[in-house]
Amino acid sequence: MLPQDLRYTRTHEWARLDTGAPVVTVGLTDFAVEQLGDIVFLELPKAGARATKDAPLGVIESVKAAVDLYAPVTGEVVEVNTGLADDFDTLRRDPYGQGWMARIKVAGADALSGLLSPDAYRKHLESEAKH
Amino acid sequence: MGEFQKTVLHGKHVALGARMVEFAGWEMPLQYPEGIVAEHLKTRRFAGLFDVSHMGRFVFRGAGALALLQHVLTNNAAALEVGRAQYTIIASEGGGAIDDAYLYRFFDDEYLLVVNAANRQKDWDHFQAARTAFAQAEITDDSQDVAMLSLQGPLSKQILESVLDRGPLPEPRRNALSIVTIRGCRVLLARTGYTGEPLCFEMFVARKDAETLWDLLLSRGAAPVGLGARDTLRLEAGLPLYGHELGLDPEGREIPIFACPLAKTAVSFSPLKGAFIGRAALERQHEEFKRILQQDVFPRAILPRLIMPIAVVGKSIARAGAKVLSADGKEVVGFVTSGTMVPYWKMQGEKLASRFGDESGLRPIGLGLVDSRLRAGQPVQVEIRGRTAEAVIVPFHLRSEAPPLARSILHDTLETRVPAAPQVPLLGKVQRLLDMAAENTIWRQQECLNLIPSEMTPSPAVRLLSVMDPAFRYAEHNQVRAFDNAEIFYYQGTDFIEAVERLLEDELRAYLGCTQIETRAISGQMANTAVFSALMDCANQADRTAEPRRIQPVLNHPILRGGHLSAQPMGALRDFVARDSTTERPAVVHFPAMADNPYRTDVAACREILARHKPELILFGKSMVLHPEPVREVRALVNELGLRTVLVYDMAHVLGLVGPHFQQPFQEGADVVTGSTHKTFFGTQRGLIAMNSLPEDDRWRLWEAVRRRTFPGSVSNHHLGTLLGLLMAAYEMNHFRDPYQKQVLANAKALAHALKHCGMNVAGDPALGYTQTHQVLVEVGYAKGPETARRLEESHIIVNYQATANEEGFTAAGALRLGVAEMTRFGMQEADFEPVAEMIADVVLRSRSVKEPVKAFRKKFRDIKFCFTGQEMESRIERLHRLI
Repeated sequence: MLPQDLRYTRTHEWARLDTGAPVVTVGLTDFAVEQLGDIVFLELPKAGARATKDAPLGVIESVKAAVDLYAPVTGEVVEVNTGLADDFDTLRRDPYGQGWMARIKVAGADALSGLLSPDAYRKHLESEAKH
Repeated sequence: MGEFQKTVLHGKHVALGARMVEFAGWEMPLQYPEGIVAEHLKTRRFAGLFDVSHMGRFVFRGAGALALLQHVLTNNAAALEVGRAQYTIIASEGGGAIDDAYLYRFFDDEYLLVVNAANRQKDWDHFQAARTAFAQAEITDDSQDVAMLSLQGPLSKQILESVLDRGPLPEPRRNALSIVTIRGCRVLLARTGYTGEPLCFEMFVARKDAETLWDLLLSRGAAPVGLGARDTLRLEAGLPLYGHELGLDPEGREIPIFACPLAKTAVSFSPLKGAFIGRAALERQHEEFKRILQQDVFPRAILPRLIMPIAVVGKSIARAGAKVLSADGKEVVGFVTSGTMVPYWKMQGEKLASRFGDESGLRPIGLGLVDSRLRAGQPVQVEIRGRTAEAVIVPFHLRSEAPPLARSILHDTLETRVPAAPQVPLLGKVQRLLDMAAENTIWRQQECLNLIPSEMTPSPAVRLLSVMDPAFRYAEHNQVRAFDNAEIFYYQGTDFIEAVERLLEDELRAYLGCTQIETRAISGQMANTAVFSALMDCANQADRTAEPRRIQPVLNHPILRGGHLSAQPMGALRDFVARDSTTERPAVVHFPAMADNPYRTDVAACREILARHKPELILFGKSMVLHPEPVREVRALVNELGLRTVLVYDMAHVLGLVGPHFQQPFQEGADVVTGSTHKTFFGTQRGLIAMNSLPEDDRWRLWEAVRRRTFPGSVSNHHLGTLLGLLMAAYEMNHFRDPYQKQVLANAKALAHALKHCGMNVAGDPALGYTQTHQVLVEVGYAKGPETARRLEESHIIVNYQATANEEGFTAAGALRLGVAEMTRFGMQEADFEPVAEMIADVVLRSRSVKEPVKAFRKKFRDIKFCFTGQEMESRIERLHRLI
């Protein structure tokens, strides 16, 4: 079940606009986490780093593959879930909640426009599965 | 994925929920739902089951088969005996690998070659092209008709034992083969594998039986393992993968076979191989490789880079293709050939008691093709995503020589640190030493039951004499022909010890019933090496200018059937035994054991072995021993066959039993007897060599050589203190031998019976009372020996853990070895061993501590028997005490 209050990217990240200051929390969808299998390495940006929409923000690795994390929005990284790099279990169990990865301060509340709705993301997954 | 090939087990993988991927044209399981990390950890801790049916299986038959194999493979197929396998490489003319492979010889007249799935067609074409010169060789591709499974891990052996209908498992040695029946299916079984697990099995079954076998092994607890974990396991074990460590490097050049560390075992230049493909290039590689090992040659034209294990210091993962840089980051020194994050179990406990804990970790490791000047311990850098990460060259990531576990070795445990010396004042240390020596003596002499078969407490007189003058003197002497072969002493002040030596020789000649005795060896092993050296010396006496030839072949007991270390090529025999030019291994053959009693020699089968191999030397004697040696029978066979074999009986353990109650070696036809004077014999720790030769007989030259190769060949100063003590011990042996020997043999049987009665698994033949020596062997379960011996020690019962023919090595020892000689010396008799057996069973079977009962029990047996006592002795011993 995809959370309905999130927006998604084609590269399997999710984004949530937080109430209050325009900050967007981002993470990986459960599809991506499940596809990776055993996660063995996670590199997240440092607080203060610049995030550029569709550019790599960090890296997540399984035994067999290294995959980039892409920033869904542009802005400044203001907070990072640093504990996650030692706790892949949380990422697997709760990718949309405790498994959040970074919080990015964005220019305005419209930062999520252009991202996929839950329905659109679901259709994207189905079309990928066909290939 | 419809167009890919499927193994016969494909449906099983899908049904188990495996994630399927394409690999070399096959649809194979990458991982099952639990994931790669769990599958890897389960293989190391329990057992993993792999479908490897995608690999190619070719069978070579016919008159030209062996010659073809010798031509296309790098290893010596002619040295491959029936029932053995060997790693081998299909070489290119340039000395690179077309593929690596394994050759199995299950049957006399055919060879099974297993090749990588990715190269099956290429290898087949290559063999067909080569076959034109070997028209009578037939090759069939059995890949479809024969399925192949792999079962690896500490529990693999017991899983197989539990499903076996018929047939023995292969011998507990890598590359051993056997043919068994499981659930009515014939299974060809090999102790081979691609994981580094010491307990490893690969199985070949008919296609129709594959699913039955798969289901059965899973039902017994094996975990299904996919290609993902197969790769992490082999990477951790440092095993090469074609396409990574063999074949082409990341820059597209052919990797020389000798760049890969396993090449040494896969390449043979035996004359039996003739001109094989790649020979010239490989010989050049081999020459440079030998010089590299000696740090000898720069620059390196042929092997500029070698495959080495690399460990990343942080958490970043180095993957295949990543550049390896020098420590200062300034130059490229190579590439990573394989790498990923690999899980490992964290250990608990130390040394023999170390086990997997409950926690696991992850570490980034790899293999790299790097500058051949690099050495283990040297730092390097690895380029990961545009940044550099610290890494280090390590000698290995995993060790397999302590079965039943394969143990992960982390790079930071390899760093050596010199421990700081504790800051204790010197006087304190000195006093502490003396206190500890006293405590140790009290513990061992008053509070323990000493049941180690190779140990004896000498009498107070013997011990005291060992430390008197001349213990720290020199009395080297040699026979000089100019003086009618008199012994001429090089030192002064030696009249006493000269007299002692003569008296000792008289006593030992009387004890052994022989004419010649050599007492200068200071250990049993030294006595053996002096004899080996003497044999070699005699063999080369006719020509002292040419390179001396070594002895061959030798007939002995292998170490896992109780043969002593000194009789093995890995031990003292190494420098004296020749290399067999066919097998390229030391020229040693083994005494065959009875099928129903591995502790007993199969004398009938000896005849064929003697006739076929015509050994130059036969070594009797064992350190795990329940029966006398068949000296008389073998001597009869040797005489009947007209052989010139020298029969040497290393009596080590049983020297104190020589006589009518056990055996008399010279009467039975032994040429040479060696022995330790401190096991069942009452002495100090020394060795001796004896022969029953006289100047006029044809073994006299050997005796003269024995004398020379003892002194000056093996020893300079022959340790006079223990020599003096040994004389007293020889007096004791000659006087008390009859009651002592009878009591020892009766006590061993009594202990064996009592232990059996208590529910222990006593080895040996019940019809013979389990043992005919001073030893008792008790089976306690695979790999349980060391921990059981430790628990017994905590209860003050001191015994040995012992590996038997069922175990791969001493770390997996499944038995205990006990000896009654020392406690017999302290006065124990048959009935006394019943409570001892109870106490042992309490510890072993019921996990109780019996420390206090043992201490109380020992109180009754603290005085040494079978030695001279009385006031006349006491006063003289007292006088010696005061003289120290």
